[in-house]
Amino acid sequence: MVLSRIRNFSIVAHIDHGKSTLADRLLSLTGTMDAKKAVDQVLDSMDLERERGITIKAHTVRLLYRARDGQEYTLNLIDTPGHVDFSYEVSRALAACEGAVLIVDAAQGIEAQTLANFYLASDANLAIIPVINKIDLPAADVETTRNQITETLDLDGSEALAISAKHGTGVPEVLEAIIARVPPPQGDPDAPLKALVFDSFYDSYQGVVVYVRLTDGRVRPGTRVLLMSNGRSYDVQQVGVFSPDMRPVEELSAGQVGYITASIKRVADAKVGETITETARPTAAPFPGYRDAKPMVFAGLYSIEDTDYEALRDALEKLRLNDPAFTYEPETSLALGYGFRCGFLGMLHMEIVQERLEREFDLSLIVTAPSVQYKVLTTAGEVLDIDNPSKLPSPDRIEQMDEPYVKSSVFVPTEFMTAIYKLAQEKRGEHRSLEYHGKRVHIRFDFPLAEIVVDFYDRLKSISKGYASFDYELSEFRPSDLVKLDIMLNGDPVDALSIIVHRDKAYEKGKALVEKLRAVIPRQLFEVAIQAAIGSRVIARETVKAMGKNVTAKCYGGDITRKRKLLERQKEGKKRMKQVGKVELPQEAFLSVLKS
Amino acid sequence: MSPAPTEGGLKQARPGSGSADNRQMRPGSAFADNRQMRPGSGSADNPSESQLSAALVDNPPAGAELGFYVHVPFCAKRCGYCSFNTAPLEDGAMARYLEALHREIDLLGAIAWSRRVRLSTIFLGGGTPSLLPAQDLAAMLERIRSRFEIAADAEITLECNPESVTREKLAGYGAAGVNRLSLGVQSLDDSILPRLGRLHDARGARAAFEAARAAGCDNLSVDLMYGLPGLDADGWTRAVEAVLDWKPDHLSAYGLTLDAGSLWGASGVEGLPTEDTQIDQYWRLARAAAARGLEHYEISNYARPGCRSRHNQIYWHAAEYLAAGPGACGFVGRMRYANVKATPRYCETLAGGDLPIASSEHLSERQRLAERLILGLRTADGVPTALLESRLGGDARLRELVDAWRARAVLVDADDRVRLTEAGFLLSDALFVELL
Repeated sequence: MVLSRIRNFSIVAHIDHGKSTLADRLLSLTGTMDAKKAVDQVLDSMDLERERGITIKAHTVRLLYRARDGQEYTLNLIDTPGHVDFSYEVSRALAACEGAVLIVDAAQGIEAQTLANFYLASDANLAIIPVINKIDLPAADVETTRNQITETLDLDGSEALAISAKHGTGVPEVLEAIIARVPPPQGDPDAPLKALVFDSFYDSYQGVVVYVRLTDGRVRPGTRVLLMSNGRSYDVQQVGVFSPDMRPVEELSAGQVGYITASIKRVADAKVGETITETARPTAAPFPGYRDAKPMVFAGLYSIEDTDYEALRDALEKLRLNDPAFTYEPETSLALGYGFRCGFLGMLHMEIVQERLEREFDLSLIVTAPSVQYKVLTTAGEVLDIDNPSKLPSPDRIEQMDEPYVKSSVFVPTEFMTAIYKLAQEKRGEHRSLEYHGKRVHIRFDFPLAEIVVDFYDRLKSISKGYASFDYELSEFRPSDLVKLDIMLNGDPVDALSIIVHRDKAYEKGKALVEKLRAVIPRQLFEVAIQAAIGSRVIARETVKAMGKNVTAKCYGGDITRKRKLLERQKEGKKRMKQVGKVELPQEAFLSVLKS
Repeated sequence: MSPAPTEGGLKQARPGSGSADNRQMRPGSAFADNRQMRPGSGSADNPSESQLSAALVDNPPAGAELGFYVHVPFCAKRCGYCSFNTAPLEDGAMARYLEALHREIDLLGAIAWSRRVRLSTIFLGGGTPSLLPAQDLAAMLERIRSRFEIAADAEITLECNPESVTREKLAGYGAAGVNRLSLGVQSLDDSILPRLGRLHDARGARAAFEAARAAGCDNLSVDLMYGLPGLDADGWTRAVEAVLDWKPDHLSAYGLTLDAGSLWGASGVEGLPTEDTQIDQYWRLARAAAARGLEHYEISNYARPGCRSRHNQIYWHAAEYLAAGPGACGFVGRMRYANVKATPRYCETLAGGDLPIASSEHLSERQRLAERLILGLRTADGVPTALLESRLGGDARLRELVDAWRARAVLVDADDRVRLTEAGFLLSDALFVELL
């Protein structure tokens, strides 16, 4: 294949700006699939992705397009995950491209992820094609959006294509722009193989299917390849392209995008960012920027039924085959028994893992309060990484505690500025900079990661009536005055409910937490005292009164079946309760630690 | 006069009179034959009802004695708290209902196993059964007697509303064979009664009670309700004491429940007493009844010794009973079933020659056990300890939970039985949900 007729590109956008819709349009327009099938947004193929309307994994598809110049081009569309939890994956997917279509919603304008994606694409030296989507909307304002693109993104807004992916308006021009503005790949097919892994998934028949972009060399079945970060070699079994289903080809060569299978057993052995080369003739320079995906949020996962521990372990093992970004190790909780400490890229990732475990493995789970990883310097001079509040050494053994901070960007209409600053203050944010972009402002804050992982984004959305957008990246550890807040039920500490909080917020947090727990803990045969304490000092207390009356007055011949079914439904609900000591705690009790 | 149908329909249903289709049928099943004999009728339109009916035919009772519940759906007015199956009393509706009911009794009586069972109780509930003229009631009971063997000492109960009875009418019921009356008093507060949607006042309730006694009823029950909007603790005590002064043989007292199927459940109601007040009212009743020598033998039922409701105890013993009338529920063998609810449809189905069964469920072993436990534990007699043991088995968590109930002395053991105390009754659903 002639390199000059290949284009490797990605579509990037803020969430809901129409990335998947445009991708579907491109697929149907190039005849890669018929329009009817396209309705289902093929690229978001995981159920969860479709339900949530976001892309979690990268996908890729090869489009064959006969351009207006009469030539047929091979367009490799590499779709990227659409959430800040997966920004490393996005950066690797972009590294596999020469160009990016950057979508901006004509009604919403530029958002935080538009900007974040623009920077990622610029950093990867991609040709960027700005596209203004949703011009069919009554609220669409193409001219203002062009100006925003010029002012905010350092791109020529007048060159932006105005389209409606939904109706197909302007979409052929997008294809032509990709041909015209995205440079063809360069590379030497005769040089040693050099391929970038930008995604992979586990298939129970073929092992790991690795998505690759070749910059140099060739690969075909039988080629012995070396994975450079771990030094393992494999014999390639199949190479192929996605059109959009996997289709084997004889060879992939420099500039092309496709997949490789080589009986690789675990996704962790072919991680995103990995360089694949020939074992016999390795490339001199692996791709820069490879790193292990680093979990940012940690939580305990416990099965509600004690007997499901083994099932949970098996499920975690299987899930990790496909998701190396997620980590787990056994832990024990006095309250919850045997479970696992799991690390996630962020809260979305955590929710996805939990949902997949519950759906695909039919488990009922308790997720304990998520925690970030703290660095603790002990009086003995050791440095401990603490991601579980119950593992925190006692205060007299702590010399200093550092917590992770992020640099963040908030885009918001000016009218919400006051509210945003108030929220930032509440979340211990430090203001860094403020730029006006017409009616909107771009504010940069530094935040402790712990303050933004949980409900920050929801709060931000609600105080800005949905207009604010947000993006962040981990920056550094800073010393902080932190304490462990314990929750006691009838005097017994429940380790799974402990959290680490800033001292200034401990009282407020403790009070909110016990109130929340009082609301979600059902009345039991006996009174339940809920206390929040720092060390031995109780700072808040609430009581769940003993059950007063729980009785069905009438139960005659016609009531029996209805009554039994009613109780059966209640029992279903109770399955989601965990016995902690003598107290029954609903799943929400653990979630309430999140949301208070 | 009796609107009973002719014997024709039933005679047609006898085996041996069938067509070639009879080859497909179960021998000896008169009812199944009957369905096949009417191919253009309800059975063809409603195969599911036919199948359900067949299930009853093929599902003989385990015991030799059954209760029989007859539902009389009509009410002059619907009460706000009521979620039972009721129908407005329109012109001709009662006659159509009675015709259908007689046919249903015939069809039930024609089931092969019917001849092997005896009815130990009959309960006419509603609705307002006392809207039935005495001669219609007599004809109905006669119809049952002609199709079923009835125990010589059978308890035959009729529910009455105070405003719909006179001494003469009650005497007529007695002559027809009714030997137990249940009087729906509900309240003795003339400001509360109309809010409930009741058509009587306190005087009328008292008069109806006196009339029942004068008519010779020596097994007389009164229904009361507490937890009512506007009812304070002292008002409740006055009502309880007044009713106890009448010396009823039996007292049912229900804490108000806002059922989804009731008007109040749908629209909400103001002025409900707090949970603490309702609990206080429960205890005031329990103490007053005990002081008068009544046994608190079920969560909501009190009786003079020897005057417990035999029919209702069938329910709580998870024993078997037949049912007739719209929406009536039966339990035979392992099958719980329910009739078509809407009265017109009930009548149509029977006119088509089918039993009007709308739904049924065969209980699993586990469900059967659960029912025996959760129904039995509603009573002061409780259940055999061995029965509870069989549920606990190796379930350590459940055993621990049941032990917590024992430790709080709301669940007590005596003479190889285990039962809830009066305090335990109040919390019973929390235990029952675990025992399922």
